[in-house]
Amino acid sequence: MIGVPTALLIGFLLLLLLLLAARGMAAARDLPSGSDTPLLDALEFAPCPPEFASRIFSPEDSKFVSTTKSPQLAKLFRSERKIVALLWVQQTSTAIQRTMREHVQIARASEDLEFATEVKLLLLYAELMLICGVLFVAIQSAGPLWLRGLAIYADAHSQRLAQVEQSFKAATAARELHGAGVS
Amino acid sequence: MLSQFIWWGSIALEVLLLVRGSREKLAFRYPVFYSYISFVLVQDIFFFAVYRNTQINATVYWTAEFLSVMFGCAVVFEVYRVALLSYPGTARMARSVLALVFALALAKGIANAWGDHGWWLAVNTREIERVLRTMQAAAILGLFSLFLLYAIPFAKNLRGILLGYGSFVAVRVISLQFVPERQRDFWAYAYSASYLLALGIWVAHLWAYSESPVPKPATARLENDYQRLAAATRRRLEAARGQVVKAVRS
Repeated sequence: MIGVPTALLIGFLLLLLLLLAARGMAAARDLPSGSDTPLLDALEFAPCPPEFASRIFSPEDSKFVSTTKSPQLAKLFRSERKIVALLWVQQTSTAIQRTMREHVQIARASEDLEFATEVKLLLLYAELMLICGVLFVAIQSAGPLWLRGLAIYADAHSQRLAQVEQSFKAATAARELHGAGVS
Repeated sequence: MLSQFIWWGSIALEVLLLVRGSREKLAFRYPVFYSYISFVLVQDIFFFAVYRNTQINATVYWTAEFLSVMFGCAVVFEVYRVALLSYPGTARMARSVLALVFALALAKGIANAWGDHGWWLAVNTREIERVLRTMQAAAILGLFSLFLLYAIPFAKNLRGILLGYGSFVAVRVISLQFVPERQRDFWAYAYSASYLLALGIWVAHLWAYSESPVPKPATARLENDYQRLAAATRRRLEAARGQVVKAVRS
């Protein structure tokens, strides 16, 4: 009825969760229960100005540094930029976690809580945390400038894919119209 | 020798737990849990007495095991009821998650029965316990994840009941996959010792009564308007996503 791999997975997951909880529960117990959480709308989300964030991944500063033709300066710039980019990802991730924490602290006591809405919010939260995780690993391993190149490449490909899909849809619709006309 | 130690150890810890529970009046706060411990104690003493004279009848043994699983489900329900008394939102989520777990298990069971008409001939008592324990573990996993996600504060006593029973069920599910039918090996002892481990956790956490954290009254405006709260959270999360994408692509 229930396969051995499924049962083992559930058993190990539960054990792991309990071990983690045994360590973390005492700390979580001391957290405030959220009564004095301010209105969400009143809070400013961004941990740093957007112009600053876009500057981290922009190639302008890198181009300027390369004009100096100093390898040491270029190396220092890359290392500093990497630290700043990692800090930005960390700040963004913390802000997202704070948003979710504030939400659950109020939602847990709400009589009108909706299962579907909560699941959607959780999925959105998981997606954002995954993006932050991927960004962190990518910046750590290849640097913020490479990441920008990758984003532009992915963007161009997704646009091309959308164009292909659009033309495929148009061709299918035309064929269906033609088929309907014949019959 | 080892099995004797596990048996005697279990009986001693159960008696200790019941004595402390009645002295600290914990038995009145968690009646289902202490009824479960009393039931297991009676079961242990009975089997210990019978085992010395003759082999235990398989039907009697598995009936007791089945009753123990059912009692365990009631313990999980008691944890859910007590922990989420002040959190109706999380209680609603928990009900949906548990319904989903049982619906999935039922659907899988029906699908298997549909594909293999003779499945019930091959199913034995061990298989039934394996399925029931796995479902119990899935329910505890879902419930526990919700407790962590919604940061539900726990009193030491309730935390102990959940941690002890959860670890007992988890080890039981894992060892049930490997325990041989007749001979006694590591997994057979692990299967028995999992209960001893749970008893240790319970004695440590239920030695004395611990005050439950009382939640402060929530912000009235937002509590009464869940839709507004959810919309605000979604707006903030989507703003975060927009900022991340914009920063990387700029």
